[in-house]
This record gives sequence, C-alpha cells and structure tokens, in this order.
Amino acid sequence: MNRRGRLVLGALGAVVVGVLLWEGYKAVGPADGLSLAGARVLPRTDDAAMPHIATILSRFADPELSGGDPIWLVVLQACLFTLRSVALGFVLGGLVGLLLAVLMQRLRIVERGLLPYVILSQTVPLIALAPVIAGWGGRLSIGSYPWQPWMSVTVIAMYLAFFPVAVGMLRGLQSPAPIAEELMRSYAAGWWQTLVKLRLPASTPYLFPALRLAAAAAVVGAVVGEISTGTRGGVGRLVIEYSREATTDPAKVFTAMIGAAALGLAVAAVIGFSEFLLRRRRVRA
Amino acid sequence: MTAVVLESVSKVFNAGRPDEVTALTGVDLTVEQGEFVTLIGPSGCGKSTLLRLVGDLIQPSTGTVTVAGKPAHTARADQEYGIAFQQAGLFEWRTVQRNVELPLELRGTSKRERRERAREMLDLVGLGEFASHYPAQLSGGMQQRVAIARALAVHPPLLLMDEPFGALDEMTRERLQDELLRICASTGTSTIFVTHSIPEAVYLSDRVVVMSARPGRITEVVPVDLGPRGEATRQSPGFFTGITKVRRALRGDAVPAGATS
Repeated sequence: MNRRGRLVLGALGAVVVGVLLWEGYKAVGPADGLSLAGARVLPRTDDAAMPHIATILSRFADPELSGGDPIWLVVLQACLFTLRSVALGFVLGGLVGLLLAVLMQRLRIVERGLLPYVILSQTVPLIALAPVIAGWGGRLSIGSYPWQPWMSVTVIAMYLAFFPVAVGMLRGLQSPAPIAEELMRSYAAGWWQTLVKLRLPASTPYLFPALRLAAAAAVVGAVVGEISTGTRGGVGRLVIEYSREATTDPAKVFTAMIGAAALGLAVAAVIGFSEFLLRRRRVRA
Repeated sequence: MTAVVLESVSKVFNAGRPDEVTALTGVDLTVEQGEFVTLIGPSGCGKSTLLRLVGDLIQPSTGTVTVAGKPAHTARADQEYGIAFQQAGLFEWRTVQRNVELPLELRGTSKRERRERAREMLDLVGLGEFASHYPAQLSGGMQQRVAIARALAVHPPLLLMDEPFGALDEMTRERLQDELLRICASTGTSTIFVTHSIPEAVYLSDRVVVMSARPGRITEVVPVDLGPRGEATRQSPGFFTGITKVRRALRGDAVPAGATS
C-alpha cells in the first residue's frame, strides 16, 4: 500500500513538474524565442505557440465548432475510433511477431535468413509506406465486405507492433539454459512439448517489455498511419485538422495531442495490468 | 540384466576440423543392476561426456551404448533413466511439486497419479512440506534434492548424476550422500555418478572408475567394499585405504609429472 501510495504521488509529481516547466518557461522565456545564427534554439512563448495550460484544459469543455459537441467528446470518440486500429494492430502484430520468433527459434536457417529483413522492415520510413499500404488495401475486399481505410491504419499499426515482439520473443525462446534443454531431451520431449513446457514459460520475462514496446509502437503507427493515409474519424486526423486552426485557436491542437497521449497511456496501462495479474498468480505461494 | 554396457566407445567432437577434440577413446564399461559406479578424473577427462553418451544426449563416434538391454536412443525414448546435473535446473515458474511432476507429465501420466508420485518422491527427499513453494524460495541444497526427486519420479532403473553435489557445502553434501545411498538401496536403482571428490567417490561407490585426460579414457577401476555406509564408515580404515587407492590411480596417470594442478 505504501509502495502504491508513493507510485501515485510520483505520477502526480511528474504532472506538476511538467506543468511548472511549461508555465515557468512561458513566463520567463523570450516571446519570440531565441534564434542563434538563424536557427531557432528556444521556442516562442506567445499564446499562439504555447497557450496556458488552463486555456487548453478549458478548451476541452468548449464546443468543437460553434454549436457542436464539446471538444472532450469529439477527442474521446476519435480516440476510441483509433483504439480499434491500435488494439487490432497490436493483437495481430503480436501474433505475427510470436509466430516469426517461434519459426526463427525452430530453424537456425530461418533466423539467419529472416532476421535481417525483420530489422530492415523497421527502417523503411512509415510516411513512405503508409500510402502504399492504403493503395494496396483499396484494391482488396474481405468477401463482400469492402476494404475500409481504418484497416490500412490497422495494418500499419501491426507493421510496427510485430517487430519488438519478434525480436524480444526470439531472445526469450532462446533463453533457457542448455541444461534445461538437455533435461527435456532426456525426457524424450519433442519440439512442441519443449516449446510449451519450457520455452514459452521461460520467455515471459522477455514478453512483457516487448509487449509494452509493441503497444507504444501500435499507437504511434495508428496515429501516424491516420495522418499519412488521410483516414477520417481518428485522433491522428484531429491533430492534422486542428493544427490548421492553430493561428486562430492555438489551444485546440493541444487537446488532440493530449488525447493521443492519453490513448498511449491507456494501452500501456492495459499491458501493465495484465502483467500484474500474471505476476501475482505466479508469486502466490 | 546389466544396467549399462559400453563397448569400445569413442567420442570425437568437431571431427575433421582444426578444433577436433578426442573426448573419449576405447571405453569399455559395464554397470550391473543396482550397482553404484562413480566416474572420477581431472577436468577434461570426458566424465560428463561419458554420462551424456549413456543418456543419449550425444551420440558416440564409434562403439555401442546399451542401456537396460536396449540401444541408448530407445532407452531415452522409454525414459529408462533419470538425470541430475550440477545445477538443479528447476523451472522457476513451477512449484516444487510441479517440477517433480514434469517428467511424468511428459509421459502422459494421469493427474492423480502424478500428484501421488511427486508427493512420494518429495517425502523421500524430505521436502514434503515444501511442495507448493517455488524454487527461488528454497536453499541450494533443497533445490538439489528437488532435482533428485524429479530424476527419481518416473522410477527409473538407472540414475545418471553429473556432479550433483558439486556446488553444495560439505555438511549438506554428506547428508545428501547418505540420502542418495538410502534411496538407491530402497529402490534398487543403478547409478552412474560423476564427481571431482575422491572421498565422495569412495564413500558412495561399489566401483570407482578412474579416468585420465587427453585423450579421455578409463585408466583403472577400483572396487570398494565397505559394506553398509554410515557415520562410522567415514572414519574407518577401509575408507581411507580406498581413498589412497583412488588417489594413487589418479596420480599414476596424471600426464607428465608436475602437471597436477
């Protein structure tokens, strides 16, 4: 309980420090920022570039456009729309990553042949890849159900999410000591039995850090995917739309950004909670 | 029936490569049913290799290995032996009980029988009340006892042990030696036991197989006849005679004089 109390206090403290830094810099920083040799090294602090925290928060309560839904509702709905792509992309990406890791562990030759491509896949700029995926998707349909733009976004989220799982799980599956493998061999255990009884349980310490990275990657992938494919309805789209109004309504774009950040935190919290449940089950003795 | 027969067995690692190593050469060894045989020798003499050959964890380059009257491969598939290593090698995510159940699980033993057998084995090594603990909650000696219980769980006719007490303190070690002898006597298990310790070899064995390195081979077999072991055995003249014999056998082949380390 004490530990949990400190944790809550720490989290609140971090928020307070963030707010203080923002408002403090805004108070003392030069209004036009600081430029050295033509390059701006400190941001401008006027209300258009850095609105007050209070302005941003109060903007949540105001309607999006005159007479429309309040911003918090619009942002929340957009986040939920994006969450579908994030969740699906995370789950599918995790499965693909797991499958690749098992395959690479099983066959040395696959590891040698595949791993460079797995790494290469992450060096292709997402901005370049997104329109390609959207273009391919546009020509597909699932049965009679036509391809939806959010599916392209899901594929992009998945494309980013599979990587940490594949690499992390490969290490996890390879983590059992040689003696444990010899032991399984002495029991005449086959590949599948060794996987289920030894390799998978031994890899859980590697799984959760990988899943956390994958979750963050899925959120980034979905938001950036929405922006670069121009998908409507998600929080990525809101960031773009609101940033166009930055000159007249500077606080607005920050509401969408906070929404995207909250989405990432929510997904991370889900992973953290499931890890907590699993750990508790194991330590209970 | 004899428990283990090795006939002119040799093992070469990395054959045909620059780093070729002859780990074992010309090994003939027979272990009778219920016999306790210890392998002793300097590091690199192939003791562990020999044990792994019997367990079919590696295959011989030449010669044949027969376990329980079958080729070693078949014997492994039939789980004719239990094995324990220097590290306990318990699965940390399983309770003590479930660790002992593991070999039975892989055999497809029913849940009820598994539970009973694991209980019985844990009682045998004196850890019945720790069944629901996790390995991390036990001391090194207790973990090693769990590993022995696990090795015994399938009631194997043969027990292979690779320096199982190597990492333990002297007191725990002596207690476990007595426990092991008691268990082997009560179950009629044949044992091949690898060790670095001369007193341990003499105390435990019916026969001490002395090996030497480069290339690994058997140089002498010292029979030990001390009758039933007990506290008094460790002080008896026969025990010290045995130690001297084994020490002489080890030294007699310690490649060039002065190479003793």
